[in-house]
Amino acid sequence: MTGDQARGVEAELREVLAEVTGRPDLRGVPAETPLFGGGVGLDSLAGTLLLRQVQRRFGVDVAAEDLNLDSLESLSTLAAFIKERLSGDIR
Amino acid sequence: MTGDAPADQIIKCVIWDIDNTLLNGVYLESAGEPPPADPELAGVLHELAGRGILQALASRNPPEAAAYVRSVTGADFAAAECGWGSKAEAIARIAADLDVQADAIAFVDDDMVERAEVAAALADVLVLTPEDAAEAADWPQFSPVVVTAEARRRGQLYAERRRRQEAAQAFGGSRDEFLRQVGTRIIIGPARAGDLPRLHELSVRTHQLNSSGQPVTEGELARLIGSARHQVATLRLADDFGDDGLVGAAILARNGTGVATAQLLMMSCRALGRGALDALLAWLCRVAARAGAVQLAVPCVVTDRNVPMRLALAAAGLRAEPGSVAADGRAVFTRSLAGGLPHLPDWVNVEASQ
Repeated sequence: MTGDQARGVEAELREVLAEVTGRPDLRGVPAETPLFGGGVGLDSLAGTLLLRQVQRRFGVDVAAEDLNLDSLESLSTLAAFIKERLSGDIR
Repeated sequence: MTGDAPADQIIKCVIWDIDNTLLNGVYLESAGEPPPADPELAGVLHELAGRGILQALASRNPPEAAAYVRSVTGADFAAAECGWGSKAEAIARIAADLDVQADAIAFVDDDMVERAEVAAALADVLVLTPEDAAEAADWPQFSPVVVTAEARRRGQLYAERRRRQEAAQAFGGSRDEFLRQVGTRIIIGPARAGDLPRLHELSVRTHQLNSSGQPVTEGELARLIGSARHQVATLRLADDFGDDGLVGAAILARNGTGVATAQLLMMSCRALGRGALDALLAWLCRVAARAGAVQLAVPCVVTDRNVPMRLALAAAGLRAEPGSVAADGRAVFTRSLAGGLPHLPDWVNVEASQ
């Protein structure tokens, strides 16, 4: 995967996050902001929609591979999780 | 949208999903013969068709699946959309095809995300779980002649939900701000004998927000309510749109070992996105800590259906040992009760236990 593709994952995740939460302002959220709790306040419903979009757009089933869903700590950790799976596929 | 009285809504067309809805399984995942029809829903389908309500299919499957469902249900479908595109688009095509307005359509799907997407794209469509659909023949929207108080109430809950979803979409702020704005009220209190039928029903019907995946009988629930070693708590939910009543519960075991174990957490999917399970978990942490426990444990079956439950556990800071899913599909999610506990919003009221 090229550097452009890697940056593209994070940009696409921002777009998805804004869609599933109905909050356009989240397009500008810093990549390290916690998704759970005070930062973004991701709940079960928005979280499920986010994971479904990740599966649809990137082919990565986060819920099946990450028991504790720690990859949802922030946009940055989720993008890293997806990039790792994608680069593994290419090899 | 003006939020019309739900009793005015008359369903003229029911659009069914196939996998794990009209069929007892997944069409493409079967090695030999595809799975049989769900007898209960097939019965509902025939009952509704007998009242002149059109039946249709919308499914992520090859077109042969529609022919197969026709043969095993013996039903005539007015339209069938089988393909890999969006369900909302499929429903819009069926509506155009049959010349039926969106507010005269009911859509039945076992998949919460499909339902959420259709509800978001087509706010007027009545979106139902298979469990809802099993009762739909008794609802006024499907049977304007028969209108019981209970049926009227259920229809009202759906209209309230639709208005709430529309308000949420238009809101744009954070979820907590929205919940506060719409006057969300949560009451957590001890379960009483009168709650037994509803608690049993929730244990059977909840899947997405259910930790154990095991139904609990009324007898077993009565025993737990009477047990000094257990605490059965109920959660009631209301807001300015309406009162959903008893939507969830927790069974907490007090075994005196310093670990408080929530044997069961369950919540109706009506409460999804409304902070109810998060509130219940935050309350459990406080109750367990006050009783002297140092750790909260939630044994939870790990399936692809209850991902929303795992999301709530993660949001409340519970974690399982990686790779610790047992042969029975369960993992034990725990968190320390020392230090900061999950946020309990001020709209949550706690009734004193007896």
